[in-house]
Amino acid sequence: MKPAISRSEARLLLLRGVIAVVVTVLIGRLWQLQMVEGASYLIRSDRNRFREVDVAAPRGVIYDRNGKILARNRPSFTIAVVPGDLPKTREGEPDPAKDAAVLDRLLDLLARPAPKLRPSPTPTLTPTATKGSANTQTTVSKPVSATMQIPNRQAWYMPRAEIEQAIKDGRLGGAYRAIPIAKYIDEGTAFTVAEDAVNLPGVDLQLDPIRDYPSGSLTSHLIGYMGHIPAGALDKYKAKGYAQNEQVGLTALESTFEHELRGKPGRQTIEVDVNGRRMRTVGQPDPAVPGHNLVLTLDLDLQRAATTALQEALDKSSGFTKATQGVAIAMDPRNGKILAMVSLPSFDNNLFAKGVTTEAWEALTSNPDHPMFNQAVGGQYPPGSIFKPIVASAALQEGVINSQTLLGDGFDGANDGIIWLPNRYLPGDRTKDQKFVSWNAKQGFGWGKINVKKALAVSDDIFFYQLGGGYLDIFRGLGISALDYYTSQFGLGATTGIELQGEGAGLVPDEKWKRLNYAEPWLTGDTYNASIGQGFVLATPLQMTNATAAIANRGTLYKPQLVDHITDAEGKTVKPFQSNIIRELPVDAGTLDVVREGMYGAVNWPEGTAPNVRLPGIAIAGKTGTAEYYRDWDKDGQPDKDPKENLPTHAWFTAFAPYQDPEIAVTVFVANGGEGSSVAAPVAAKILRAYFGIDTAPPAPVTPITPTTTAAPTPTAKPAE
Amino acid sequence: MRQIFWRRFDWMLLALALLLSMFGVLMVASALAGNEVLASWPWRQAAFLGIGILLLFLTSIIDYRLLPSVTYPIYFILLGMLVVIAVIGTVAGGAQRWLTLGELFLQPSELIKLGVILMLAHYLAAREEKMESFLTPLFGLLLFAPAVVLIYLQPNLGTALVLIAIGATMFFVGGLRWRHLVVLAGLGIAAAIAAWQYVLQDYMRNRVMMFLNPTTASVADRYNVEQAMISIGSGGWLGRGLFRGSQSQLHFLRIRHTDFIFSVTAEELGFIGAVLLILLLAFLLLRLLRIASIARDTYGRLIVVGVTAMILFQMVVNIGMNLSLMPVTGLPLPFISYGGSALWTMLIGIGLAESVAMRYRKIEFE
Repeated sequence: MKPAISRSEARLLLLRGVIAVVVTVLIGRLWQLQMVEGASYLIRSDRNRFREVDVAAPRGVIYDRNGKILARNRPSFTIAVVPGDLPKTREGEPDPAKDAAVLDRLLDLLARPAPKLRPSPTPTLTPTATKGSANTQTTVSKPVSATMQIPNRQAWYMPRAEIEQAIKDGRLGGAYRAIPIAKYIDEGTAFTVAEDAVNLPGVDLQLDPIRDYPSGSLTSHLIGYMGHIPAGALDKYKAKGYAQNEQVGLTALESTFEHELRGKPGRQTIEVDVNGRRMRTVGQPDPAVPGHNLVLTLDLDLQRAATTALQEALDKSSGFTKATQGVAIAMDPRNGKILAMVSLPSFDNNLFAKGVTTEAWEALTSNPDHPMFNQAVGGQYPPGSIFKPIVASAALQEGVINSQTLLGDGFDGANDGIIWLPNRYLPGDRTKDQKFVSWNAKQGFGWGKINVKKALAVSDDIFFYQLGGGYLDIFRGLGISALDYYTSQFGLGATTGIELQGEGAGLVPDEKWKRLNYAEPWLTGDTYNASIGQGFVLATPLQMTNATAAIANRGTLYKPQLVDHITDAEGKTVKPFQSNIIRELPVDAGTLDVVREGMYGAVNWPEGTAPNVRLPGIAIAGKTGTAEYYRDWDKDGQPDKDPKENLPTHAWFTAFAPYQDPEIAVTVFVANGGEGSSVAAPVAAKILRAYFGIDTAPPAPVTPITPTTTAAPTPTAKPAE
Repeated sequence: MRQIFWRRFDWMLLALALLLSMFGVLMVASALAGNEVLASWPWRQAAFLGIGILLLFLTSIIDYRLLPSVTYPIYFILLGMLVVIAVIGTVAGGAQRWLTLGELFLQPSELIKLGVILMLAHYLAAREEKMESFLTPLFGLLLFAPAVVLIYLQPNLGTALVLIAIGATMFFVGGLRWRHLVVLAGLGIAAAIAAWQYVLQDYMRNRVMMFLNPTTASVADRYNVEQAMISIGSGGWLGRGLFRGSQSQLHFLRIRHTDFIFSVTAEELGFIGAVLLILLLAFLLLRLLRIASIARDTYGRLIVVGVTAMILFQMVVNIGMNLSLMPVTGLPLPFISYGGSALWTMLIGIGLAESVAMRYRKIEFE
């Protein structure tokens, strides 16, 4: 018995020794971790819980001149699943049964009808909490027009089978990368999911600001849209402190004023839990500075009226072929403020806010009418007869004529709307003479010898051929150099500098240009054509509007501007409007008054080309234009012509009002529209009607004698009969 | 006599056990703070403790010397239950450990620990004089092996290892001869090699490899261990404060209320708190060994040794895992980790030791 006891006693002693060793080892290891290496573990625990995050700066809002919202921010709710955060078995292994339970619950919540929330007038993104006051929500002073509500974007849901596959794939690598499974869900559903977070481990609600354009396609060409930083410009943006995945303004004002609109994102340290959920903020945040707001010169109501009027004109057009493209611009001639600028067809820039689909992008870019192209600033067309006021101004200023000088039909004995220009090399051979006709030749009559005012009013081409190019030995004309000089002074051939991209310069052709491009000398016929805005002359609708505005205001060419003033988030003006004068025209006000009177005549005199623009109580001055252009759709190498041998024409009309003290200049352009007087002028009339608030129905239509400018784009010699 | 009876009760041992258990409830509360779903669990643990104290006293009142008559029946009934569970478990799949017993009473895997302790104590004490024969330990091993195998097949590697630790310690203290130890060790190694080659399937081998070589552990295990080390390391001298540890409260540390509750303690109460916890456990173990030393018979001594081995092994494996000294197994820290069954097993074990302690000196009774 005794030896057995002592044996077990000895072994119990050994057990005590084991306990002592165990305690020593454990405490030693504890000392090593906590005392020796403690500092590094403390850093790692801080790295676990602290995150430096950007505080998004709300992007500036864009208003029209009356405070209507054209661009704003709104939150887009995305539901994502983080495979690594889904519930696990006790061993830490993925548990398909629990995954399924979470998905069942989530999909059930998403499928429920959304609870109704009180609609907020401006769902601007609420700035993330920064304890400060700098981030007050951008509020709107004026209510949004009720008709401007656009429907909510369609929510997108990933099918369940795909979700399960994505979770499975996610677990194989990047288990903590969030997989978006529902996008653009409405606010009510988002809140329901957020409230149920306890039952939905691994489910994340993300809130991304996206741009919202209440006026959509009405203003797309002016506001533009945003998107990811283009690959080529990444370095440039990064140097300015942009993150790689940030959205930037890509076109129009969103791009031009990117710097002002963006603001400055703030930074702050937050404490997060293992799921990355924000627990609290730490320390003093570097607050975000909201972007500045733009208040435009644009009048949205006028923009809508112009769009409607122009669209109607396109819809009922029966020109050479059906017209599909057009431009309408309204501008304040006293300062260059753009009141309306429409380019049709347009597109909905909201498509780009949530990332445009490939199909939509294909449809937009392959559309032959180029809806993404702003023709108002980028389209370059022969201006036709609306160019004549510039020619008249130049000739009067140069003293080639005075207001009473008579020119025109009848020098050759036949008042028929036709004159003959002798061949440069065979001046004696009458059969080689080149024929130039005025639009009225088709009606079989001429205007006879008239002064410049009447020539403008009736748009007599013969008068302007002679005025620009001279006529035989009887009259010495202005000449192409002087005409070019004045044309350039009126702003053609150079971009205006408006705050939009893609402006065209147009073309002011001279002798050198023709030699370089055609290897031919400049002919008198070229000057003839240039004198009626045909031939080689090209101008953008905006340039023509600006030239008309300069005539209207008696001699000042303003830079057209879309942004009236810039305010900070509190509404304080940080950059007031300042008109910007391109130049004072080298034309006397008295001279321009003669031209203005001629334009007044075009609308108000019995024989004027645009009687249908008259408005009760408002005196309007204008000029019609019907510009032939070269088109070869059937690709036979010859310009397309209709059965009556007419070339296709663009319809133009430019006007200003009131005549005495103009406050609006309007230009309407309908590509391939037909007659300026019958197609473009009524659109301008509707715009002016909307501007002056004249609601009465237009007066009984006065059928104008349709002027057709008939001059070949390139001079072609025709034998005499 | 009643008075004398309770004077033999080891009040110090009870105090240590209660102190540790209450400390456990507090740490469970801290580990689960902020978890709304599990908000009631600290209270449940406190309730488990209340029931456990009752079980402890009940066990201590029963004279352990009456137990041998029911030891084998109990042991074989438990083995039978494990077989039934294994069969049904194979059919139904999963959830073998709890089965129909649910939370109403002890999990079989917890009960079998006490069953093995009583069975081996009885077997070894009765054959104390026959330990010179190699057959004695060999038969003991045959009695003991089915329990280990059945638990391992559940699969519950951790508890199987606890059983082996209990058995080895009891054989050792029960008088296993050194030469038999060497032979048995040799046989064990040979059997292990044979099993490795012919019996074990691939997934079983993987599990063993994982145990032997922690770098092959699963991603989740490695994450948990790393976060445990960060938690412990960031504790410093006095810790981040109870309910204030960032690793625990922000849930970077997982399975906080069971496997990694020691890390919560070390983070929130620091070096001082963690050492105190280890020392409390060590004192409890030494107190148990004191009872083993003064026990009136070998049977009682071996019971107490078995309980000691159970607590010591689980403590070493659990804290060792927290400190990255041991591979990851799901063994709870005795008295501290959340779980009613585990706590009751410990307290019943203490009750058995008290039963032995109260009856250690014959003369005062008779």
